[in-house]
Amino acid sequence: MPGADPGPGPSRPVAVTGLGAVSPLGWGLGPLWDGLRSGQTAIGPFDRFDHSGHRTHVAAQVDLAAEPERPRGKPLRLSLADRFAVAAAREAVAQAAIDFGRCAERTGVFFGTSTGGMIETEAYLETLFAAMAGRGKPPSTSLLASQQNNGPGDAVARDLGIGGPVQTVSAACASGAMAIGDALRAVRRGDVDVAIAGGSDSLCRLTYGGFNALRAVDERACRPFRGDRAGLSLGEGAAVLVLEPLERALARDARPLAFVAGEAATCDAHHMTAPHPEGMGAAEAIRGALADAQLDPSEIDFVNAHGTGTPLNDAAECAALAAVFGDRAPDLPVTSTKALVGHLLGSAGALEAVVTILCLLEGEVHPMPDDGASDPGIRLRLVLGRPLRLARARHALSTSLAFGGANAALVFTRHGDQDPAH
Amino acid sequence: MPRSCSRATETRTLRTETVITGLGTIGPCGHGREALAAALAAGNPAASEVDRGAGLHREDGARLAALVGERDVSRWVAPADARRMSFPSKLVVAAARMALAEAGIGATEAGGPRTGVYLSTTFGTSLSTEKLLRQILLEGAEAAQPFYFSECVANAPAAQLAIAVGARGPNVTLTQRESGPLLAVARGAQAVREGRVDRALAGAFEELTPLLHALLDRFGALARAEGALAEMPRPFDRRRDGFLAGEGATLLVLEREDTARARGARALARVGWSGAAFDATASVSDWGDGHAPLAAVLRAGLDEVPGGAAGVAAIVSGASGSRWGDRLEARVLRGAWGEVPLPPVLVPKAVVGEYGGGILTSGLLALEGAPFGPTPGFAERDPEVGVAPHGGGALEIPPRVLLTGLASGGAAGWLVLERAS
Repeated sequence: MPGADPGPGPSRPVAVTGLGAVSPLGWGLGPLWDGLRSGQTAIGPFDRFDHSGHRTHVAAQVDLAAEPERPRGKPLRLSLADRFAVAAAREAVAQAAIDFGRCAERTGVFFGTSTGGMIETEAYLETLFAAMAGRGKPPSTSLLASQQNNGPGDAVARDLGIGGPVQTVSAACASGAMAIGDALRAVRRGDVDVAIAGGSDSLCRLTYGGFNALRAVDERACRPFRGDRAGLSLGEGAAVLVLEPLERALARDARPLAFVAGEAATCDAHHMTAPHPEGMGAAEAIRGALADAQLDPSEIDFVNAHGTGTPLNDAAECAALAAVFGDRAPDLPVTSTKALVGHLLGSAGALEAVVTILCLLEGEVHPMPDDGASDPGIRLRLVLGRPLRLARARHALSTSLAFGGANAALVFTRHGDQDPAH
Repeated sequence: MPRSCSRATETRTLRTETVITGLGTIGPCGHGREALAAALAAGNPAASEVDRGAGLHREDGARLAALVGERDVSRWVAPADARRMSFPSKLVVAAARMALAEAGIGATEAGGPRTGVYLSTTFGTSLSTEKLLRQILLEGAEAAQPFYFSECVANAPAAQLAIAVGARGPNVTLTQRESGPLLAVARGAQAVREGRVDRALAGAFEELTPLLHALLDRFGALARAEGALAEMPRPFDRRRDGFLAGEGATLLVLEREDTARARGARALARVGWSGAAFDATASVSDWGDGHAPLAAVLRAGLDEVPGGAAGVAAIVSGASGSRWGDRLEARVLRGAWGEVPLPPVLVPKAVVGEYGGGILTSGLLALEGAPFGPTPGFAERDPEVGVAPHGGGALEIPPRVLLTGLASGGAAGWLVLERAS
């Protein structure tokens, strides 16, 4: 067991005591894990909006009809991304069994999103443009109430009655991972006692059209790291982690699920939409997160990769992993959650953090569909077809590589009998 | 006592203090801090007519905004580079280079893995987003242009800045409305203080398009002409009915005080206490009435400042003329100061409009002893508010100023800047 809490500082162990998720595999952790283990992708035909004019016609959407409980009784006008965020946060907080009545002002919300309530903004503008053209009335401004990127994090804070700092990161596909990194720092410093960290994004026409314009969307379900990969698939959803100092969790008899052991963020400073070809920035982020966790690369048991399925991203990420893990890279188990739920953009890093912890807890790495040819240039041990049993896995890495070259890496450690801070 | 703040004052050694050594700003008053200083001294709002030609505005809606008039940044961004950037990206890169020049940091020294970027925006790159949406919604899905997509993400200007100066450290864009600029600077200062980066380029940007202006107006957020009353923001005034929307970019260079001194750089200010909180009584799009908990957080933070609240000799307020935002701001300030009279309350948004960079620049100007003229638009005290903004008299050069940012939706941020000796 760890010794006494060293107090605020970089060596303070930060535990995860609650997890929550809304994904194309379902509302909650149960459907998420079952779906991941099955190796069956949720990417397919979708009807969130009219995509008939696009080149591609697949995405991974959340089943709105299965929403367990819409937030009611408050003057809230929530976007879809807000609703995902609130549902995931409620699940995480319920698991953590935290009573915010006692610590609301010492609790912070650290959230990431890429587009917030964009789909609602699109609906508003479509109606407004039509009205300007003489077709119908201008829309109600209530549709615009939660269109900004602070929406999901604010919605969570409002729903839980949080009084501490609330901060939204919008760093494209690294947003969720960066938010978790910020939360880790805030708990270590003692700025907050509890951090609600995560991300949320919904499918929208802006990102679907934009990635299609870049010709970065696969016409089929994405196939990360495979030889015939042809682009990403978009998804939607939210994920939330509850973070608190280990000693605080133990003192209130909460079950620590894992530790957020390390984090780091870097930038390629190379290109707006293409990664550094050798994955230099990504490698620096991974090394930084390992150093922050005080771990050697040899101690990482598996990687939940960013793995979008675009030719350039996967090649650059493979190069980054090879640069950090050296000769061991071809033997290091690697999976990509995006193969099953699509790319959740600003929420991707958060969902993949939750999935990484679930893998540590369950002692197995979820598979990707065994689909497509192998790529001789990708020398990684891909987990394909069925779960890989890793009962003794203790440390795992999750990577997020974003538009604009923003990179973030997170290291998680299973809660066990060893002090994560060494 | 609730406390949600960074402990900037915990170890007040020279080595770990973070100082601001450069400021670059391009806004509605022009390029550079001198242009803004002149407008603040004159109490002269930088308002100009918005293009309403698209017919998106309400007939009786707002007509004015604080727009960047001097849009040529070729002195700072080469045309060959600028053609790959949206307008806000160009502003951010130009403002950063302006700040780096003041800090005495050359182009070859500015970047590297130990330079981080920490920006804030509320609406992001509005024109790129609007153009892409128009293409998708009106012209057909396949009409979408890749350039608009890569520039429409909120972090595009931060990424362009990283590419422009080679900044390979953390690249962070915060989107927390009015509190964001203060959170971004606090975040950058913290990264420097903790040794995660040697240098942070921190600040805020905003871009205002006619469509965004029309939407804000339709939402009832903007000041409008009413009878004999001209259209203007009236922070803290009884007759206030909304803010003046604005745009621009402001970037600061942050570094360790000992490093700055070692290379002979002049410190413009030291970053002191910063704090953040949330008012869960706020609605999605407006301010709440949970002033007491916010005031408690601010008061606890001020207790960490040398001299306490009395050590803060001026407040650079984020009041903008919004009905409920200004009321909350006033109640929080009065609650934090208690029986002690408030120091002069400077309200730069009355001049530069609602854009976060103005408040950062104004904070530094206040520390430099720049004159602040009368607050335009203020004439009638509001008994519900009980705060009167600065009336234009001479100010002593404050040793320390508090910058405030209460956001619609509930977030709050505060930042103390200190004069660096």
